Amino acid sequence: MKKTLALASGLLLLTLVFAGWLNSRESKPVKLIPTLSGQPEYCITCHADVPEISASHPVATFGCVSCHGGERLALNADLAHSTMRGGANPSDLSVVEASCGGSNCHSGSEADDRHHIQRVMTSVQSTYVGAIANIRYTFGAQTDLIAHYGINAITDDQTKTGITSLLAFDPVSETNPSIQKFGENCLTCHINATPREGETYDRQTGCAACHSTEQHTLTTAIPYTQCNACHNRGNYDLRTMTFTERTDHPTQRIDDYYQPIAQFTQCEYTLDCVDCHTRSEVMGDGDLHASQKDIQYVQCKTCHGTLTELPLTKTLTNPNDIAYRMSFLNPVVDLKPGDTIIVTENGEPLWNTRVLSDGTYEMIGKATSQYFTFKPVMGSSCTQSGEDQSSAYCHECHAVER
Amino acid sequence: MSEISRRDFLKLARDGFLYLSGALALGGLLRFLDYDPNPAPTTEFDLGPASNFPLNSRTLLSNPPAVLLHTENGFSALSLICAHLGCGVEKDAQGFACPCHGSRFDANGTVTNGPAEKPLQSLRVEVTNEGNLKLFTA
Repeated sequence: MKKTLALASGLLLLTLVFAGWLNSRESKPVKLIPTLSGQPEYCITCHADVPEISASHPVATFGCVSCHGGERLALNADLAHSTMRGGANPSDLSVVEASCGGSNCHSGSEADDRHHIQRVMTSVQSTYVGAIANIRYTFGAQTDLIAHYGINAITDDQTKTGITSLLAFDPVSETNPSIQKFGENCLTCHINATPREGETYDRQTGCAACHSTEQHTLTTAIPYTQCNACHNRGNYDLRTMTFTERTDHPTQRIDDYYQPIAQFTQCEYTLDCVDCHTRSEVMGDGDLHASQKDIQYVQCKTCHGTLTELPLTKTLTNPNDIAYRMSFLNPVVDLKPGDTIIVTENGEPLWNTRVLSDGTYEMIGKATSQYFTFKPVMGSSCTQSGEDQSSAYCHECHAVER
Repeated sequence: MSEISRRDFLKLARDGFLYLSGALALGGLLRFLDYDPNPAPTTEFDLGPASNFPLNSRTLLSNPPAVLLHTENGFSALSLICAHLGCGVEKDAQGFACPCHGSRFDANGTVTNGPAEKPLQSLRVEVTNEGNLKLFTA
């Protein structure tokens, strides 16, 4: 009996020592108390190797949970991830308000130009409104080209365009097979829709579709390759409503750049899309528009002017000018009070430009940091009418050979 | 030298194992009970002797991030947490600048550039009876 008791107590001790050893091998909880929430979270116990997402969102300030959701105190992976927003992408538009919104963040006031979420939600990138109207009109489902439907239903109570709401487009309820195919094959490209499966269609949704160029990165220095993830993956066949994936693997930028256009000027393949196309064109301006052509307006003349007009410019005097905010987020240029920059006809600053003292202009690539110097059309041998300034006219003389 | 009997050896071993097991289990229990995964944030900081901060000095503190001022009016402190979203502001020639979103504050913490709309928070400082400084963040 005494021998059995001694053995049992020895086994108990061994079991406790083994349990202690196992416990010591477990990763120790690593606590982070972000200044924004003041509440401890333990995500970095496992995710310490995740890089800082951007200089504007330091983990010491934001932590992980304020954007991603999840159970902040949990150490079990399944439990910790169980309430995350948008899976690995909290910027998906289905959850973006909870993740990125808030009056101090990305759903602030229009007056402060901080209504980013409202702008994206109503943008053509999200609604695909023009294509839906055109296809339904072409195949007889509606008798006009008026915008009735978007990918999702949305309202704009403070419309400036007259479009107050869009209904949700439902391809299943359409009777024409071409419209059904359009719904099946073409809607998936837009940032408000779930991408199709396959490497060709691989892209992110929501804000990350444009602003996340690498894993766990947010940037405004968006290279053309990011835009190509949607805009240059192949060609549409409108007869069959199918999409033909591109099969080439270009090694030079000129061959990779925006394939659907037949011609390019040097600007169009040397610069990145975001160097010329403005925030409102790409992200929307907060209002519902009927189609892409109603929101996209930058042309060659925006930077180059015409024979009779120099490009519009403004000299920075207001320290709260949005141009400073943009250059703060992407410091390819150090804007100072007194600098003169080009502005669009809608007054948007092309903050990565500068008017130089010799009357020429300079543009700094937002993604490349390269400097490009250019001259105005005025005083050149160009004979193009100031009224006809779409890129097709400029391509007539300035297209490069591919 | 007397030899220990087999019976005594087994008793000694049993008692030893049980005492050690009890000690281990108690240690584990105490460790478990002592662990607080969700502690309340620290709001009171002992800065040490007030004499370390001479008159007319401005001292940047790292924990908590603040600047401690000693003027003829006494001690005061300014939080170096941006009033916009809570990033740590950095000192520059004009005052303080937020590296996250570009807010700027003058040396007194007043906003000179948004997006912050409120000034840097003033923090309460007290001198204890022992002559130490205590800083309160809430």
